[in-house]
Amino acid sequence: MEASKRQLAMVMDLNKCIGCQTCTIACKRLWTRDEGMEYMWWNTVNTQPGRGTPRDWEKSGGGFENGVAKPGQLPTRSEFGEAWEYNHKDVFYGGKGKKAHLEIQGEKPEWGPNWDEDQGGGEYPNSYYFYLPRICNHCTHPACLEACPRKAIEKNAENGIVTVNEDSCRGYRFCMEACPYKKIYFNQAAKVAQKCIFCFPRIEQGVANACARQCPGRVRFVGYRDDKNAPIYKLVDKWKVAIPLHPEYGTEPNVFYVPPLAPAAFDENGEIDESRSRIPMEYLESLFGPAVNESLAILKTEMDKSRNGEKSELIDLLIAYKWKDMFGGFDKDPATIEWVKS
Amino acid sequence: MRAVYAKTELESLLDPESGPWRAQAGESIQLMGTPVGLQPTEAIRVAWMGKTIGAIGSVRVAAIHNGDVLAFRLDWEDPDEDAEVLDNDSFPDAAAISLPAAEDAPMVLMGAAGKPVNVWYWRADEADSARHLTAEGLGTSRTLDVKTVKARGIWKEGRWQVVIAREMNVNTPGAAQITPGSEIGFGVAIWEGSHKERAGIKAFSVDWKQLTIDPTNAGGKA
Ligand code: SF4
Ligand code: SF4
Repeated sequence: MEASKRQLAMVMDLNKCIGCQTCTIACKRLWTRDEGMEYMWWNTVNTQPGRGTPRDWEKSGGGFENGVAKPGQLPTRSEFGEAWEYNHKDVFYGGKGKKAHLEIQGEKPEWGPNWDEDQGGGEYPNSYYFYLPRICNHCTHPACLEACPRKAIEKNAENGIVTVNEDSCRGYRFCMEACPYKKIYFNQAAKVAQKCIFCFPRIEQGVANACARQCPGRVRFVGYRDDKNAPIYKLVDKWKVAIPLHPEYGTEPNVFYVPPLAPAAFDENGEIDESRSRIPMEYLESLFGPAVNESLAILKTEMDKSRNGEKSELIDLLIAYKWKDMFGGFDKDPATIEWVKS
Repeated sequence: MRAVYAKTELESLLDPESGPWRAQAGESIQLMGTPVGLQPTEAIRVAWMGKTIGAIGSVRVAAIHNGDVLAFRLDWEDPDEDAEVLDNDSFPDAAAISLPAAEDAPMVLMGAAGKPVNVWYWRADEADSARHLTAEGLGTSRTLDVKTVKARGIWKEGRWQVVIAREMNVNTPGAAQITPGSEIGFGVAIWEGSHKERAGIKAFSVDWKQLTIDPTNAGGKA
């Protein structure tokens, strides 16, 4: 596979994510409403630590080990979480007043997206959690693409977006086994694999991804990796605070995270122990690798500078004073565009 | 092997249990799994290394033609009927007949560049739309159309009986053309769904088998 000329990327600042799932719903309403897509959430937000979506995806293999493909598992629909229905009609229009309550219809689910919401980890008073939003990483070394025997997955030569060509796909799901992030879904009705398309029809019109634009927390930066005047380059390459999730999977993700800072931990006597973070560093390293230490150290230094009244380009960037500056030039208002359905 | 000439309507040819087929015992063909080293991607090779490929060991094949349509009946033992894709980790049973569409098209490799193989493909979950394919090497199969090939399968008492048929002469580039009175080579492949077989993970007849297409004046001996 040839490298793409440029690469679109996203940075998500985990210090600002409030777990509201607005991004998830924005994506759902836009892209995954067809038959067979009911269980698909191309964007997920999970409480960490947690088992994730699909359940235990971090233990399901795939990706590369020492540069060689590593076998992976096929997550089942119930591991993602079946799309259950509620008795909305009864509750809202059934004329039953307060007698009808929201109830799941049919079989009771045992797992679902963000099922272990806000459970988190640690022992009181050092309990902790944070939210981790995920989309397909539009990897530079995409395990999904490399696994497909039919070359049905394509990485756009101009912008690096990874998409499934549904005309070539025969639903063999080698991609689903191979993606270590479990961000490929099988559509049982259409019998093809489907995944996040980085909102390319919007991007082509200069409009940022729906998940990014809709985010009330100003969590998501969008743009070309090499655009030196835009936030992605500054956060990833210049300031080196935005790092990939599970770099050891070997796919070279193009979604980067500003890792979560945490207050200091309490010691046995209930005193604040400045030497330890409430979120154990081992845990963060298990997610982001050793680079997380450096990233958090830079963040702390720059925050201190800012507190002391000095100017910090990094902190100003992360605050995102100007919303539109987050989108690396993809800042057109979607309402101003005439969309043509092809 | 012979493709027996029988004056039979297509409908009856497509029924694996119809009279003309009952008269044909067919021939048992040994199958082997596609070697793991020939799988087209590293991920597939690594995932199947050391595992059995080709869960179905043999298939009984018979062939009949009516001067117009050539039909194969495949009959194999399969305790699990996988006719529907029930979840992300569930795969359908499938079978295919392949024919060389060029001289010395290699069977094991599913053809080669410039030497296409023509495939008549039935999949249990797409029972009404068998596929007419062409391939020039593993992983290159491309659908020519979904109407030329007719197929019907019945699963009963631990066996699949599947008929796969096509008009002997079709107007499709890439399709093998067949003439009564001639001899052709053919191959068979079976995918066992419960064993997660799909794509190049399959059991196949090692080389082209010879098939004599009876001349139409041979009389309706079947
Ligand atoms: S995250 Fe998974 S689906 Fe997305 S490009 Fe990487 S390997 Fe492929
Ligand atoms: S990324 Fe934004 S929209 Fe999504 S959950 Fe976090 S705050 Fe909400």
